[in-house]
Amino acid sequence: MKARKVKHLDPEGTLADNAQRVVAARIDELYDFVPAVLDPSRVKKLHNMRIAAKRLRYVLEVTSSACFGPYALTATKRVRELQDLLGEIHDCDIQLPRVQQIRAELSEDAAAELVGRAGGAADLDPALASGLPHSEDWAGLAALEHYLAVRRELLYDRFVTVWQDIERSAMRARLEYAIAERPSLVVSDTETAPIN
Amino acid sequence: MIGGAERRKWRDTAVMAKARPIPGLTGRMSYSDAATATIAVRSDELFDHAAGVLDVTNIEAVHAMRVATRRLRSVLEFYEPCLESEQLEPILIQVCELADVLGQRRDPDVELEALAGFAAAASEAERPGIERFIDRTSEQQQQANAELAQMLEQVEADDLRGRLAALIAPSSAAESPAESEAAAEGEAPNPPGAAAGAPPAKSGWLRRR
Repeated sequence: MKARKVKHLDPEGTLADNAQRVVAARIDELYDFVPAVLDPSRVKKLHNMRIAAKRLRYVLEVTSSACFGPYALTATKRVRELQDLLGEIHDCDIQLPRVQQIRAELSEDAAAELVGRAGGAADLDPALASGLPHSEDWAGLAALEHYLAVRRELLYDRFVTVWQDIERSAMRARLEYAIAERPSLVVSDTETAPIN
Repeated sequence: MIGGAERRKWRDTAVMAKARPIPGLTGRMSYSDAATATIAVRSDELFDHAAGVLDVTNIEAVHAMRVATRRLRSVLEFYEPCLESEQLEPILIQVCELADVLGQRRDPDVELEALAGFAAAASEAERPGIERFIDRTSEQQQQANAELAQMLEQVEADDLRGRLAALIAPSSAAESPAESEAAAEGEAPNPPGAAAGAPPAKSGWLRRR
């Protein structure tokens, strides 16, 4: 997933002003995946949302303390949490098909052996199905498959909860406010007070 | 396989590869000055994490280098308007390729770690199937490690580190250190992506692997 081009960036302008534009664009990118990702079957969208979260996180990591209001740091942590969770979901989405693939390969192998044992008979003798190759592998692979499928469901439920928390805490509005703040430019009363 | 809380804890530990602070970075400085300061730190971070990455028994090394690569990529993209695009583009391509190859090694690393926990908790009857999956994943890890070794050779042969330094050098449009050195010796610089086989290591970071 390509990052969106950010317009009106100025190398001679301040880091804070440019970073504000980039972060604003990365926030939009992240939020654009909702509501699509509220459907657990949207594997690709979930994966791309993770990439969007990663992009936002890394830009915030460099700029939040130097450029923005304090909430930017809080948001960085929330985005990281989201990215990690989406990463765990992605791991399951990658591993599950791999386990299924191995099961399918072994199953095909066993079926081919059984066809060989049948030797062109008109019907199949049940005794021939005993002791087929790879039978010792089924239990472990089935356990793995169930584990990954159920874990994915649990992680996805947690993702929905985390996302609801993010929405309820108005992370977007607060972060957009924080990136417009310029704490380093504020001159305190003490600094401006005349020296007696 | 490691379940929820335990695995999260493991991941959190893994994510501990904290980004180094950028000395002197302020919101008031110019975007282009910030680019120089940030890229210098992120570039050093990447090469400092190259030690031990080909050792499959120390999976944290790959993780740290992968995170450093992602961070470098992210800042190169972030500061793109401040950089010479002709210099930046091949660098960015190589950094992305490196990130991909590190990711291909990292995935089986994490999976094997988790599978070891899963196998330990499994019954006798379940173990052979899990072992089969572990074997398959180990093969994938070995293959990814060979690709990573090749990629690291390429990165060194292309002098990525020198090109990154040239990218943020005061007159970034000028020739890179590799080009200057090659020019001084009367030979053409090694183009990025050229077969390894050639010029000797410039920075020597590869030897620390």
